[in-house]
Formats: sequence, C-alpha cells, structure tokens
Amino acid sequence: MASLRCHFYLITYMESLDPRVNRLNLSTTELTSKAPLDQLGTYEVFSQLKEDKPYFHVGPVHAPNCEMAFLFAKEQFSRRQTCTGLFVVETRNIKVSVFTEGEDTVYNYISNPGELANGNTESFELFHLKKRGKQHEYIGTIEASSAEVALSMVKSEFINDKPVYNIWIIKTSDIESSQDEDKIIWDTLPDKKFRDAIAYKAADKIKEFKERQ
Amino acid sequence: MYGGGNTFEHIKSNGLENEDPEKLAQFEARIERGEKIEPNDWMPQLYRKQLIRMIEQHAHSEIIGALPEGTWITRAPGFKRKLALMAKVQDEVGHAQLLYSAAETLGKSREQMIDDLINGKSKYSNIFNYPAFTWADSCFISWLVDAGAIVNQLANARGSYGPYCRALDRICAEESFHLKYGHHCVIHMATGTEKQREMMQAAINRWWPPMMHFFGPSDKISVHSEILMRWKVKMGSNDDMRNQFLDMYVPKIWELGFTIPDENLRKNEVTGRWEYTEPDWEEFKRVINGDGPCNKERLAVRRTAEERGRWVREALLAPKTEYVAPLA
Amino acid sequence: MMTNTEALKELIYKMADDQLILGHRNSEWTGFGPLLEEDIAFSSMAQDKVGQSYALYQILNDLGEGDPDTVAFMRNADQFHNSQLVELPNGEYDFSLVRHFLFDTAEAIRFQMLTNCSHEPLAQLANKIKGELRYHTMHADIWIKQLGRATEESVSKLQDSLDRLIPYAIGVFEPSPMEDQIIEDKIFEGEGKLRQQWEEAILVVKSKTPLNLPYFSLVKPV
Repeated sequence: MASLRCHFYLITYMESLDPRVNRLNLSTTELTSKAPLDQLGTYEVFSQLKEDKPYFHVGPVHAPNCEMAFLFAKEQFSRRQTCTGLFVVETRNIKVSVFTEGEDTVYNYISNPGELANGNTESFELFHLKKRGKQHEYIGTIEASSAEVALSMVKSEFINDKPVYNIWIIKTSDIESSQDEDKIIWDTLPDKKFRDAIAYKAADKIKEFKERQ
Repeated sequence: MYGGGNTFEHIKSNGLENEDPEKLAQFEARIERGEKIEPNDWMPQLYRKQLIRMIEQHAHSEIIGALPEGTWITRAPGFKRKLALMAKVQDEVGHAQLLYSAAETLGKSREQMIDDLINGKSKYSNIFNYPAFTWADSCFISWLVDAGAIVNQLANARGSYGPYCRALDRICAEESFHLKYGHHCVIHMATGTEKQREMMQAAINRWWPPMMHFFGPSDKISVHSEILMRWKVKMGSNDDMRNQFLDMYVPKIWELGFTIPDENLRKNEVTGRWEYTEPDWEEFKRVINGDGPCNKERLAVRRTAEERGRWVREALLAPKTEYVAPLA
Repeated sequence: MMTNTEALKELIYKMADDQLILGHRNSEWTGFGPLLEEDIAFSSMAQDKVGQSYALYQILNDLGEGDPDTVAFMRNADQFHNSQLVELPNGEYDFSLVRHFLFDTAEAIRFQMLTNCSHEPLAQLANKIKGELRYHTMHADIWIKQLGRATEESVSKLQDSLDRLIPYAIGVFEPSPMEDQIIEDKIFEGEGKLRQQWEEAILVVKSKTPLNLPYFSLVKPV
C-alpha cells in the first residue's frame, strides 16, 4: 500500500494532499490544552413541508438564542425537499407527558377537567406522537390557564381515538417562527435538481458501453 | 452516512447483573414486539452505553468523512459535479449533526463527544484514514463507500432506538442522490477516454482493500454479540453486511469493464456467498489505532477547527443559555 | 430599445466572477467551521453563490459567450473580472464573516435593483434568487450583531477585519468603463446608487454594535 502513505516531514507543518489543510499550517506537535466544554442551548425545530400540511418536529439544533436557532434550523432542516414554514422553541420550554405504548393512550393519564379557573388564559400549542419512532405532529392551539388545564380540556376529544404515545405542549409565546415574508427563502429549493437522484440517469450509457465491447 | 455497527470492543455481558429483571424483561419484550425505545424509557446501562458508542462513532465518521470528500470541491470538473459535491459534503456535515443529536438524547453532550474524537478516545470509520489522491478517488468514495454506508444504514434504520431511527430515516432520504451521483461519476470515467479509465481503475485498486475492511473484522475473529442483536442494536453480522455489499456492487463494477484486485473474488453459486481473499486484519487494527496515512491529519484538522473556533463559541456563549439534552 | 450587449456582458461577468470566487472561498470552510450548525449554514450559502454564478454564466452563454464550464474554469487568471475582495485568501472566521457581511449586503441590494433590469433573463433571475439573498443577509446581520457585541475578543477581531476589508469592499463598486451606457439602457441604476444604499444598510447593522466604521468618503478603495 505504498501509494497510500502521506509523507510527514520533520518540519513544523504537516503536509497534506489537501490544499485547504496545508493553508491551515497544522502543527505536527500534539496540541495540548483540552478545550473547556462549551455548551450552547438546545432548541427543537418544527417544519411545514407544504402549505396545507401540519408542522412536524424534525430535530434539535444547538444555538445561543432563538434568532440563531432559526438561522441554523433553516439550513439543517429545510435545505432539502420543500418548506413553507419553520419554527424553533427552546427545549426547556417544552412540557412532555409520559410515554405509553400498545393500546394505552397518554390521555388515560391526563386528569379530567376540573372547575374552570378564573385566571388569565394564554395560548398553547399541542403536539402528538402517533407512533413510537416517528416525529411529533402539530395538532392545534388551546386557550387555557396552564398546560395541564389545556390537556384536560382536550382529553375528551382524544381519549377514544387511536392511541397517542406522547404529548408535547408549548406556550405559543415561547415559539420563534418564520414570518410570511420569509417564505421566499425556500423559493429555489425545487430548482436544485442536482440534489435529486432522478437527475442521475445512466442506464443508457451503460448499455451503450456494453454494446461497444 | 458511513455508519459502522462496528463495535470495536468486547461486550461485558455480565453488566446486566445489576439491572432490575422485571424491567429488563419488559424492555426486551417491547423490542421483540417491534416497538421503538424512546429517550424517557427505562433501558439497561449496557444498551445505553453501546448505543452511545455506536451512534457517536457514526457521527464522527460523517464529520471526518467530509474531509477527503470536501478536498475535491474546489477542483471538481465543472459546475454540475461541483454543485453536487458541495451538496453531498454538506449533507455529511448535516448528518453528523443529526447523529450527535440522537446520541445526546442518551445523556452524553455533543461537546464531550467531540472532545473524545479529538483526544483519540472515540473511533470513526477506518476508511477515512486514507487520502483521496485523484478525482477518481472522489468518485470511488461517492459511489462505493456511500453504498457500503447505505447497506449499514438501511439495516440500522430498523433498529430499536427511536431517535437513531429518526435520524437514519432523514439520512437515508438525503442520501438517495449521493449514491446515484457517485455511480454516475464512475460511469462517466468508465465510458470515457483511456486516461479516464486508467485513473478510475487505479482508484479502484487503491481503495479496494480499505473497502473490504469497511464492514469490520470477519465474524470468525470478531466478538459475537448476541445481546446486541437481540436488542436490535446490531442488525447483522459484519460478514453478512459485507456479503450484501459485494452481491449488490461487484457485478456493477465488473459490468463497467473494471477489474477488482482480488483474484479470489467470486460468488459461490451453491452457497450464495461471496468468496474472497481474507483481508489483512492486522493492517486494519494498525490503522484504526492511529497508524494510517491520514489519521494524524484528520484529527489535527478537527482539533484545529475546534481551537480556532473557540473564540466564536465563546462569543456565542455571552450571555449564557442553558444546555439541555435534546428531546427526541 | 436595443440593449448594448457589451455593457451588459461586462456587468454580468463581474457579478458572476465575484460569486464564483467567493463561493469557492466560502466552501473551503466546509468541515472546518467553528460550530457544526454554522458549518452547514455557511456551506449552503457557498453553494447558493456557485449556483447563482452558474445561472449568470448561462445568461452570458445565451448572449454569445462560451458555455459555463469553459468560461468559468478554463479562463486564465488575468481574464477574470472579479473584485479583489473576493479573492483574498481565507483567514480566521471573523475575516470570512465580515467579508460575507460586506459583500452579501451589496449583493442583495444589487439584485433588488436588477429586478427592474431591461434585460429580461437577468430581471427574472434577480426575482428568483431574492429569497436566497434574504437568508444570506439575515445570516450576516445576525452574526455581526452577535459577535459585535459579545466579548472583547470578538469585537476586536471583527473590528480588525472591518478595518482591513472596507477599502476592498468599496472596490466592488468600481464603475464599469461602460457605466453610462449601462445606466442609460436601464440595465442597472449604477454602482454609485448601489454604493449609497449599501453604506446606509451597513450603518444600520453596525449601529447596533460598538463597532466603528470609517467615513466612507475618506476611504481609498482597493
């Protein structure tokens, strides 16, 4: 495997076949200090593939604040396929229910609605996990005095439906979302054909090659 | 993208002694029913540990893999190839992000994982310790190394851990063009000029041995982990995966008129398994433990990227937000 | 009204070459970025640039120039029309970020102005990519504001890069030898107008930070 060896000369800088690496002027000595752990906050990202489709959870990003989380989320989770809307919320601000499985729905563990409280209400967004291993899906908005109250308010609606295995409930005010005028940032997604498998047909070429043999 | 399933260490199965037998039984029953395990579910320490190791290695492989591939972006022949390669390499970095996030749900922070990569404690797919000499090498990687990764990924996507499955679903969807693009590149070289064919053949000759190492040591000498298979962490033996790969891709290489540098390579029509010269597992061990052509360079690059980026991250930390493990 | 294609082509070459070169420079960060998510974002924008330059070369092709691959990759160094700003080799991340901020702010305004271009294909392209550019400027603005207000180190690094790059950035607005023709044919409102709007835009972002900008009229462009 002689052809595979890179040569490391006894000079200060590491040589590489990669011009970008050479421009880094990497030292050949072990870089000593262990970088201190830098932990950025965590945000969950939700995206909407098409106008009439619900928002789905797609994954997390690490970011220092909501604005940057949105910036990162856009490229990490909506650079492929299509997208008409995106929002992020700090993970800490998501209230999570218990997990269930099989025939057991989470709503079995939600308390029944008590007396209507006289307090102020605010808006909450509700998400269901309809199958373990899949993503949480947006269900709707509820006006209530707290997350717990919100869930008990909708319990009767869902308790006899197909089982829900996990619930996320988020205060609407905690959500940072794309605006209508932002939609154009996803305009050119369908044009990037070089990212579609279908752009790479080569069966004809192979056939022609074989015939030439 | 370059998913292992290579657990490079022995599994101490007696780590289960301290686990609650009732919970363990429930856990195993759930897996057997085909249900996914979610982050908040109870799980044995061993499961958690092995999954972290596996997903972490996969993530490291993606970010390191971006290096030999990315080197050809500025030198790619023409716009179509360049744009495709840029998209592909970027996908790899994105996959690393998805995978680190999945591993984080198990309780290890991303920064800890990157630290372990840099200090050599955590491993990554061995195939990236080799350099991409020519454009044809880039074509080989894009087609066949990706193909190998996809064989692993498709298998692991049927595994038991929810967050990993979700990440893999997304990864497989994005990968679909990688393979086609890679194959297209190789076909272009194969059906081109004499010089192009020679360059491609040379690349195949160079990369075949590492490719044979890709799926990990032969079953004969690697530690069989029944438990990992039962828990759907490992979805197939190394030899099974390797065989699947050979079955799918050797005929495609041959049909382009290329030779493969192993005169013993043939399919046994009776057993349906491929026969080949036993790869050099000593070489594999040597390279994976740090003595390959590019190991130092790969880690030095990551280390440097972290070092040089430190001021940026510090600036992002002011004011501080609180770190929390991702939910799913 | 007949558009003077020489003037038009001159403008497009300048734009396409700038995007191609800067796209390449920015793509060098793929795999080397300071933060995983940012690595992904920066590579996307590099891809956008190369893709946009491809579209511009295609317009040139339709105007009689060679095919994009040849024009982009086979010309000699001295045949390129790009600004010096985009050529400068990458340094640390602050350098690339500041360059991204200065260049992309101008780019977005330029294409906004070009949506009224008398040459149909160019106007159409400008309309199409304004979403991409919106993200680019969003990204640049947020980063400059973040790093420009964070630590002593980040502010001073950004300041150094700004000081170094402003003269080069102004060089982007060098009027074409056929500038009058371009304005007259309503291809483009001219570098002068662009520069003015750019200066205003830059000042808006910078005013949210303790960073300093020179008096633009006193800067000698490179």
